[in-house]
Amino acid sequence: MRDLTLDTPSGDGMRDLMHRLRRSGSASGALVMLAGLCVLFGLLAPNFLATSNLVNVALQSTILLLIALPMTLIIMTEGLDLSVGAVLTLANVVLATIAVKTGGVGLSLLSALAIGAVFGLLNGTLVARLGIPPFVATLGTLGVAQGMALVVTDGQSVVGIPESVQMLYSGALLGVPLPICIAVIAYLAFHVVLYHTRFGACVFALGGNREALSLAGVRMRWYLVAVYLISGLMAGLAALLLTARISAGHPTAALGIEFDAIAAVAVGGTSFERGKGWLLGTLIGVLAVGVLRNGLNLMGVSSAVQVAAIGFLVILALTIDALRERNV
Amino acid sequence: MKMKTMARVALAAAATCAALPCFANGERIAVFTKNQTNPFFQAVRLGAESAAKQMNARVTHYVPTKPDSIPEQMSQVEDVIIKKPDAIVFTPVDYKAMVPAVAKINGAKIPVVNVTDRSESGNFVAFVGASDYRLGLETARHLIKSLGGQGNLVAIEGVKGSLTSIDRMRGFNDAVKEAPGVKVLASQPGNYQRLQALQVMENLMQSHPKIDGVFAANDAMAGGVVEALDAANRKANVVGINGTKEAIDAIKAGKMLATGDYNGFMQGCLSTMSAVRSLRKQPVQKDIVFPATVIDKSNYQRWETPVESRTCPTWEEAVK
Amino acid sequence: MSAIMNQFRPQTGAAAAASGAGAWQALPDPVRSVVLRLLALALLCLVLSVASDAFLTSANILNVLRQAALLFLLASGLTLVILTAGLDLSVGANVAMSACLAATVMKATGSITLAVFVGLACGLAIGVANGILITLIRIPPFIATYGMLWILHGITYWFMRGETIHGFPAAFRALGSGHWLGVPIPVYLMVVFLVVGAVFAQRTRWGQEIYAVGANPEAARLSGVPVKSRLVLVYAVSGAMAGLASLIFLARLNSAEGDIGEAMTLPAIAAVLIGGTSLFGVVGSVFGTLVGALILTLVLNGMNLLAINANWQPVVTGVIVVMAVYLDNLTRKGDGR
Repeated sequence: MRDLTLDTPSGDGMRDLMHRLRRSGSASGALVMLAGLCVLFGLLAPNFLATSNLVNVALQSTILLLIALPMTLIIMTEGLDLSVGAVLTLANVVLATIAVKTGGVGLSLLSALAIGAVFGLLNGTLVARLGIPPFVATLGTLGVAQGMALVVTDGQSVVGIPESVQMLYSGALLGVPLPICIAVIAYLAFHVVLYHTRFGACVFALGGNREALSLAGVRMRWYLVAVYLISGLMAGLAALLLTARISAGHPTAALGIEFDAIAAVAVGGTSFERGKGWLLGTLIGVLAVGVLRNGLNLMGVSSAVQVAAIGFLVILALTIDALRERNV
Repeated sequence: MKMKTMARVALAAAATCAALPCFANGERIAVFTKNQTNPFFQAVRLGAESAAKQMNARVTHYVPTKPDSIPEQMSQVEDVIIKKPDAIVFTPVDYKAMVPAVAKINGAKIPVVNVTDRSESGNFVAFVGASDYRLGLETARHLIKSLGGQGNLVAIEGVKGSLTSIDRMRGFNDAVKEAPGVKVLASQPGNYQRLQALQVMENLMQSHPKIDGVFAANDAMAGGVVEALDAANRKANVVGINGTKEAIDAIKAGKMLATGDYNGFMQGCLSTMSAVRSLRKQPVQKDIVFPATVIDKSNYQRWETPVESRTCPTWEEAVK
Repeated sequence: MSAIMNQFRPQTGAAAAASGAGAWQALPDPVRSVVLRLLALALLCLVLSVASDAFLTSANILNVLRQAALLFLLASGLTLVILTAGLDLSVGANVAMSACLAATVMKATGSITLAVFVGLACGLAIGVANGILITLIRIPPFIATYGMLWILHGITYWFMRGETIHGFPAAFRALGSGHWLGVPIPVYLMVVFLVVGAVFAQRTRWGQEIYAVGANPEAARLSGVPVKSRLVLVYAVSGAMAGLASLIFLARLNSAEGDIGEAMTLPAIAAVLIGGTSLFGVVGSVFGTLVGALILTLVLNGMNLLAINANWQPVVTGVIVVMAVYLDNLTRKGDGR
């Protein structure tokens, strides 16, 4: 059940920990699913394996990945961030409004990041300093952000996004679409932070043991706040991509994306209860969801079946993981 | 040698096909609608299928798994472009925000017909829909007339920011301006949802003891209003828009006064027909706007057939 | 056995009383929590009756009670689930599917009894399925019920085909919109299930075992509690209550659509949280959930009556949930728990 030993990794110990986590096979369920889906759609769906389509799927997955990366960290600390979708949406409408008024990318991005930071700090404070369970705290901030998005726009779309912003989604760097570049950089950054810094070690330590927080020193608490802050900032960054993608700000644009992110993280093998985390697993989980939707669209499968398929994917991936856990 | 004759035959066939509508069969049409739960869009889909059957074409439906989701419809458009259907029939989930999606479709050179919600911009073969403004206007006029031009009204709006709601409310407000004896007590959004409209109506009934008429921007909300009135044992003249079977039944039973005809089935029919015709190089009307008809106790019989058993009229009949 | 069970029951604060603290401190934690909430409820009613003339009318109060009843029926089963430190995100989708299934049956056969049976059975079956996913296959409740949510929606959209089923017999509709002795029928159901739920949770052995499972599943198992079957039980109950709620919904709206009840999941969870049940289990009660449901409904009703822009509703709901839990934390910490 709950593991009561504190994981305090030091240099070598950390590598050891990593090895154990990777070999526990907890992420293999996701890999199996992704491979299986690719084979399935390669056979059944016309054009699935075409380069243009694979790039298409990667592009569509970037926004979710930007959200799922920090979510992995939060889940590893036995937390949740339910407010990400609403914060992303609020950042989206504010960014859009400012972009339309000023026409500049920099100011718009700053405003989105600021909103993300404010809500991230709010979440972190509620959880780490006031001891409110993450589910409750982020449920509260979800409501606040959602309401504010509606109030700011009164339900209307914000359009007229300048070219400079739109270019962020359609532009490319050395032939690689910009969003993919951003996603890759984000992934690498998270990898380095999680596996090679002290902060990352503390994230591992915070998970798998809720009591650790109450025993933890002040610094650990601040690290927990930081984890939620990062989640908020990434929501701001993702808002930039979202605004560029849909060339609009809309008060319901990204509501509910947090559940997709949580599902992707869980499918990827990061466990809710034991604080084990696998960043690569999250990437695989995000791609698996993207591949599923894309493949079903290419096959022209009815929407009702698509909806059920997504549920099946999640449950199947976790069943595979659970069965493997038993055999380990 | 065999290759040469084959090539010649192929060239000849291609030449004749260029002159005649040879690909008059099996055109693949991708039909986009907003969600799976609003019966209006189901009617559009059924209309599209009926038209396709008549014209020997094939229809595939694309509906977001999260209702009205902008990013998801965007993804579906991108996926469909890779499939390269012959034509697209498109209802944008948001008439402003989906403009880039339309631009992508235009960029891929796939002919596209706009149905129901008029997209703010984009290159379309045709637009098929109704004038929500006129529907709101006529239905509201009908309501006001039934009250003899005097009374207290309440309006339940649709989804804030949706074109249909904006235009219908504009029509309603203009009708109210024409009748100085009529007072609008409140106008609140019901999000086109039955339960929400029911609760809004219940709350409004608390604050306003005398409500003579209710204008609901769609039939689902009108249904909620009727239930709220019934439960509270109050009476008012209720109008909606959509012309659903439920509304017709309510009109027959005297629970609803009238509904504006917003014929999803016909919209599906004609938009799909336009798509197929344009592929076959047949003449197509650029702007098909249905006249605003109000259905009430006097004329409901025409709308009584359930949507599943209807068939599309021929093009000639319809365009009249 | 019951001696061991008593270890896991919420603390009686006997220690605090012994230390000579005031009468307030001597009250057991759960009682204090409920009293605080009742006070908040009373304060809310006071403020609203001053702010709006329409509030204290019998019609409005009955409306509020009817709306709260629906929320409570859904949230009561959820309370038991959360008491075991679990979660059921699929209740909204459960309501949708059960309602649509019941509606289909009623239209096809014309029999109210059969439809009611089908609705309840569907809800129950979904609950049991959730329970099995969580206990046998060991998928965390959040993800299991989330996956189930999608599957249920898919199935519902598939057999509803985007259409509505409307027009049910008056006898059935009375369930949702009818009155008896001037009080809406759903309110009677609310009272019945309040009593049943409270008695079950606090007074029966099964109820005590549920608290024990929430406190420490391992210890409970070692004490002989059949943890797995108790877990399946709570999810089954949550599902069955969703089935019941779906019937009331159906009766009230007089029609079934694919997305009926979808928006009820988060408010139901909010009601449980506002009512004082902790996500970590152990702490909480069905009565608390009732008060939570009333508070939530009253706030929304008040906002409607005062014509406050509906856009602010999610903000207010969010703030209340956080405050409720925060205040609980404060009052509990003071006990040295």
